[in-house]
Amino acid sequence: MTRPISRRAALAGLGLAAASAGCLGRTENIAGRDPPSQLTLEINTTPADADPNGIRIARQLEEHLTAVGVDVRLNTVGQTDLWRKVLINQNFDLYVGQFVETEPFDADALYGLTHSKFVAESGWQNPYGLTEIAVDDALERQRRVSGDDRTDVVGSLQETLCELQPFSVVAFPDALTAVREHRFEGWTEDSRPLSVTGLLELDAVADGSDDGGSGSDGSETNDSGTGGSTDGNASTEDAAGGDDGTLRLVTTDDRITENWNPIAAEYRKYGTFTGLLYDPLVRADGDAVVPWLAADWERVDDDVLEVSLRDARWHDGEPVTATDVAFTYRFLRDTSLGSVETSVPTPRFRGRSSLVDDERVLDESTVRLTVPDVNETVAARALQVPILPKHVWSERTGAATIAGFELDFETTEAVVSNNPDPVGSGPLRFVEAESGESVVFERNPDHFLVRPADSEETTDPRAGVPSRYRGKPAFDRLRIEVLPSDISAVESVSDGLADATVSNLGPASVPLIGRSADARLVSGRSAAFYHVGYNVRRSPLSNPRFRSVVARLIDKSALVDDAFDGYARAAASPLAASPNAVPDSVAWDGDTDPVHPFFDDEGSLDVEAAKAALRDIGYRFDDEGRLLSRGQ
Amino acid sequence: MTPFLSVLTSVVAWVAAMLTVASLAVVGPARLRAARTGVRARLWDARRAVAVLCAVLLASALGRSWLLDVSRLFGLQATALIYALEGGFVAWVQATFAGPALTAYFSWVYVYGYAFLLAFPVVAYLALPRTVTFRRVLVAYALNYGIGLALYTLIFAHGPRNVMPEMVTPLLFANQPDVMALTSEVNVNSNVFPSLHTSLAVTVGTFAVLTREEYPRWTPVGVTLSLSVVVATMYLGIHWLTDVIAGFALAFGSVYLAHRFVEPRGEGLSPGDDAGERPGSGTGADD
Repeated sequence: MTRPISRRAALAGLGLAAASAGCLGRTENIAGRDPPSQLTLEINTTPADADPNGIRIARQLEEHLTAVGVDVRLNTVGQTDLWRKVLINQNFDLYVGQFVETEPFDADALYGLTHSKFVAESGWQNPYGLTEIAVDDALERQRRVSGDDRTDVVGSLQETLCELQPFSVVAFPDALTAVREHRFEGWTEDSRPLSVTGLLELDAVADGSDDGGSGSDGSETNDSGTGGSTDGNASTEDAAGGDDGTLRLVTTDDRITENWNPIAAEYRKYGTFTGLLYDPLVRADGDAVVPWLAADWERVDDDVLEVSLRDARWHDGEPVTATDVAFTYRFLRDTSLGSVETSVPTPRFRGRSSLVDDERVLDESTVRLTVPDVNETVAARALQVPILPKHVWSERTGAATIAGFELDFETTEAVVSNNPDPVGSGPLRFVEAESGESVVFERNPDHFLVRPADSEETTDPRAGVPSRYRGKPAFDRLRIEVLPSDISAVESVSDGLADATVSNLGPASVPLIGRSADARLVSGRSAAFYHVGYNVRRSPLSNPRFRSVVARLIDKSALVDDAFDGYARAAASPLAASPNAVPDSVAWDGDTDPVHPFFDDEGSLDVEAAKAALRDIGYRFDDEGRLLSRGQ
Repeated sequence: MTPFLSVLTSVVAWVAAMLTVASLAVVGPARLRAARTGVRARLWDARRAVAVLCAVLLASALGRSWLLDVSRLFGLQATALIYALEGGFVAWVQATFAGPALTAYFSWVYVYGYAFLLAFPVVAYLALPRTVTFRRVLVAYALNYGIGLALYTLIFAHGPRNVMPEMVTPLLFANQPDVMALTSEVNVNSNVFPSLHTSLAVTVGTFAVLTREEYPRWTPVGVTLSLSVVVATMYLGIHWLTDVIAGFALAFGSVYLAHRFVEPRGEGLSPGDDAGERPGSGTGADD
């Protein structure tokens, strides 16, 4: 920064001398030009306490970018602030983060993530600012065609995205979780302990409930042997609060203790807990789709889906009606419902909500959704948004204000509301929270999963729901406590103060779990891939050739081995966790990236090769090896 | 018992034990006995300094989470700057010196030694016949906390263990996870600039040097302990060198301001002139 200024000052001095000498024109020609300066890039990510993995990817990238002459700023901010910066304000160069889906997802998820129609919106829709006709076309086409045609389109879409690199997929992590199974069991790799379905599939341990609170605590004291003090506290708690049926989770992520707004992009990670508060019409269950709030759905004609609802109630006792469903889709398209000049779309679920063009209420429990020209897979995705109660959210469509002042006409109350006392229809209800400390939910006794069949009802209230979800959840209360780091979270499970961790555990916690007699490690493959996102709106990241060189600076194999300690799988495509979606051309082949191989020089970065690649695409270096840029 | 309470209990026990030993060894039984009768009068004499410190601590306890929000939203995001400034210094410190014995020592110093270091001057200087040093220490503490809190609000940064996890091990938390329950109650991981551990320890160390004639035995102990705390903040990967340097500046600034604000007064408990009140100059004659 100081160099050009001092040079200019010097030139100004020269200018005076030159002017007196009578060659002002020449001096102006020289002094009026801005000399190129070193390229500066900022990498944003969360600190190690919040996520031990992301920062290590960022550190490797920082090291390698620095080696090729970029002035790198590695910035750590809290999780909410990272997403506010990246998704809402789009004020970033690069970031390291995780995708929001923990279950393997359909290719249509890329529609929201990369379609250029969302380039002016904030949230998880195209945060990169990618505008590529080829990508848009493929995204549109995969919605229309099916079978092998779709496989082909999805394949070429991945190839195009890999080539363009609006973001670099780094690795699909194993979701590491420390659990103790004294009170709840069913933590398996398949049931993905961090997902809605994973939590619903848990079962209470039979012994514990038979013995009653004090009995099970007594046995815990014997088992753990870490001293009676911790268990003493647990039994006091049980006695005081009758907490026997409480599932106790610990996390380093305090967002769920402050905000329960399912559409607030910066406050949600996978949306697991808001997913338990708010029911969707249908739920993805492995490869299948099961009816949830919808009792059934069918295609009336090519453009229209007819959805019939189960008998359900909101947590405040109001019935869930077709009007609520119609409202939700209208609302997700424009959270202002026309009350603000430009439409304010929801920062989450846009790919899905954009599928529904129109909605018509037929009667109390039937709604028709216009979903034109899409295949079955994509149509089912349209039904996976959280259904919101009209009587609560229709009051939040006005412009957001602070003390009566409207700061931003493109923001509605709905988007910024913390949604205190959330009213959903899901299997859990909100009870209480202490900001930054803890949050408590309780089982919704009125939910269709647990409601006893009424003699007056002609149909089974749980028709179509797989048996493993019936009667669930297995816990009466769910308490999530915030702890300062993943190490203390694991410690808390070992000490019997919690049943499981739900934060991102780093590999350093694995031996810690191993040393504990009572805690067990569960590692499930997660679809929430770690990636480096580029702000394609900014030079030189707007240049796909430059991005592909940056992508080649990431040593994914080394990261999987060192940062993740093997608890991850390197990948080139965002769909690598989705079964059969990845064509050979972008499939990871052992230890190198098929499209953007690392500049490898026997395990370390081949700086000269990387610099040569940058020179090849038109970049220059000064005599100290700094990468130069103009007009950054 | 929760980890938080068990750590708190052991801190209280350690500090109480160390205070007892140090009071006997440094202040001496005779002076302690003499001091007993005058404690209430001295506290009354120092009431304004006590009130200032209590006010700052109360404001810090009540306003901390709110100020943290302000810092997150509007503070200068300085992690990148600090890291760019000093790079891997802390990583080098760990890589060069870390070993089980030192880790045990610095972990102990960071939690227990530090608590004792802050508590002992209150006892020792209260035992002096004149309250000027006592008042100055309290005011210096208040300045440290007050200015530190303002800087925490203005500057948002994470410490080295959060930025370089592959090079900087969170030694304290890896070895004594329970301690984290306590430190997270007292502090937040985004409050690193300046290091308040450094500034308060150095404040105590500076007073230990200034009062070397009254408490000659305390000076080496206080200075050693205080420098150990300084090193511990970096050795344990909690603070940057930049935070530590800022901590020194804050400490010296606070001590200087405390001397400016708190004047010796003649109407004290024992006759004497101002010159006699200057630390280390005259009161040593009481021995």
